[in-house]
Amino acid sequence: MTIGPSAFLGLAAVLFALGLYGAVARRSAVMVLMSLELMAVAVNLNMVALSRFVTPTEMTGQFFAMFTMVVSAAEIGLGLALVLAIYRQTRSIELSSIDSLKG
Amino acid sequence: MLSGYWHFVPEALVVAGALAVLFGEFLPGRDKGAAYIAAALAGAAALLVAVGGTGGPMVFGQVEPDSVARFARTGVAGLTAVWALWVAGRGMSDERRRDAVALALFAAAGGMLLCMARDLIVMYIALELSTMPAYILMGYRRRDVSGLEGALKYFLLSMLTSIVMLYGLSFLYGISGSTAFAELSIEGAGVLGLVAVLLTLVGLLAKMSAAPFHYWAPDAYAGAAPASVAFVSTVPKIAGITVIARLLSAIAPDMPTLVTLVAVASVASMLLGNLAALPQSDLRRLMAYSGVAHTGYLLMALAPGTDTGYAAAVFYAVAYALPSMAVMLVAAEEGTEITDLAQLAARRPWLAWSVVIWLLSLIGIPPLAGFFGKLYLFGAAVDSSLWLLVVLGILTSVVSAGYYFRVVREMFFGEPVGVSGEGIASPAATVALVALVAGTVVIGLGASPLLRGLGALLG
Repeated sequence: MTIGPSAFLGLAAVLFALGLYGAVARRSAVMVLMSLELMAVAVNLNMVALSRFVTPTEMTGQFFAMFTMVVSAAEIGLGLALVLAIYRQTRSIELSSIDSLKG
Repeated sequence: MLSGYWHFVPEALVVAGALAVLFGEFLPGRDKGAAYIAAALAGAAALLVAVGGTGGPMVFGQVEPDSVARFARTGVAGLTAVWALWVAGRGMSDERRRDAVALALFAAAGGMLLCMARDLIVMYIALELSTMPAYILMGYRRRDVSGLEGALKYFLLSMLTSIVMLYGLSFLYGISGSTAFAELSIEGAGVLGLVAVLLTLVGLLAKMSAAPFHYWAPDAYAGAAPASVAFVSTVPKIAGITVIARLLSAIAPDMPTLVTLVAVASVASMLLGNLAALPQSDLRRLMAYSGVAHTGYLLMALAPGTDTGYAAAVFYAVAYALPSMAVMLVAAEEGTEITDLAQLAARRPWLAWSVVIWLLSLIGIPPLAGFFGKLYLFGAAVDSSLWLLVVLGILTSVVSAGYYFRVVREMFFGEPVGVSGEGIASPAATVALVALVAGTVVIGLGASPLLRGLGALLG
């Protein structure tokens, strides 16, 4: 039995949807960051799978995935630093308690 | 082969400036001197781009330094230099200026690369390089909870939208089998093509704070230091609109519905931005909503999908960024409430008149930069018979005069409340503001040769 591209794309779509749900529904800033990371992983899976099935001889998609992995690692580091800075001031990482600004 | 690297000398100058400032404990004058050096290097980069060769060929198949990119890169580097000069003179709300200037220069390097990008991977890396320093700038005051809160909101929304965009980009790559803009093609991809384009567009529009993805901007700006807002709300927008124009010109011919989507976002941004700006009393919030409205005007020029429209949008992005940055810098000097500007005309007459010039440019009064910018935007829309957009654009410009003139009235006839923040006079900051006035007037007077250079003069 061979596994086609649709299996990988489907798995990526499921992971992406789970991450999106978490990012929107979770109240804790750290959980939101983890959900965002899950979405990033889904995108990487998508890229690597497409790279394998669309352009097997070139590695463009795999390079793209390498770059996005580095960038999202840097972004998560930055996000955690922001959460820490807020925690030092307010002793809370609940997004619902961070609402002094209202549009 | 090696000659291609010459095109990156301006970016290298900017990055060198950022690194020198970041590790510049040994520099003369420490904090202040470092900021001056950064301003000088960014200014040199702008000059180098401006006098450098035009219409360069593709470099490594990934970037193309053509005339539109040259104009946008000059704008990005020049505005960064002016901002760094202002920060060198006035400081950065009781924090060190060195780090802020270094961050701004990194963002500028990303923005300049973004203007030239012709490849999805380059575009993504440059986009992240130009936005990541912005998160830190927005939360620059470490003890200020509302600033950090705004920065966190901005960060979470921005990261979410860049992942959504990235998901779209991965499908675009999968459909066309290449990451080069020139080889992108979604013809015959059906639903998958639509999904790819929708995801990409949502991400890019949210980064530009276009309605209906704008709601992070007013909150994020209202918490941040006004000097940070001056940079974050203007410079990345120039690079952003340039790359959206590039990407649209690559995929729009395959997909007529794209025009409708961009037009809808344009209408929503113009209406929402201008109407929501009317009741605001905080200058940062007012300029945030005015920024949403101006994104609407920019999208109007992108909607027709013509080269004239793309060039007009890039021109207007620069014409908008100049006065918008200037107004926020004034807010950083005088206070962020509109009432803080009361009697500014009596205290600092030349500054009050400068603000009048900037606001008139934002409304679009001749012969200032904003007028010619809007003229060409509307012209591009008229050429493609997008009459609804043009009529709405003109009507909302009239509405925008309402809230801009509230600021003018306060400066000339307002009752001063309490002691206003009369800061220490700083020659460097004054030079920066004079440069912004001069830029607003000169870009207006030189609009037609500039636009001819961009290949966008209407018949």
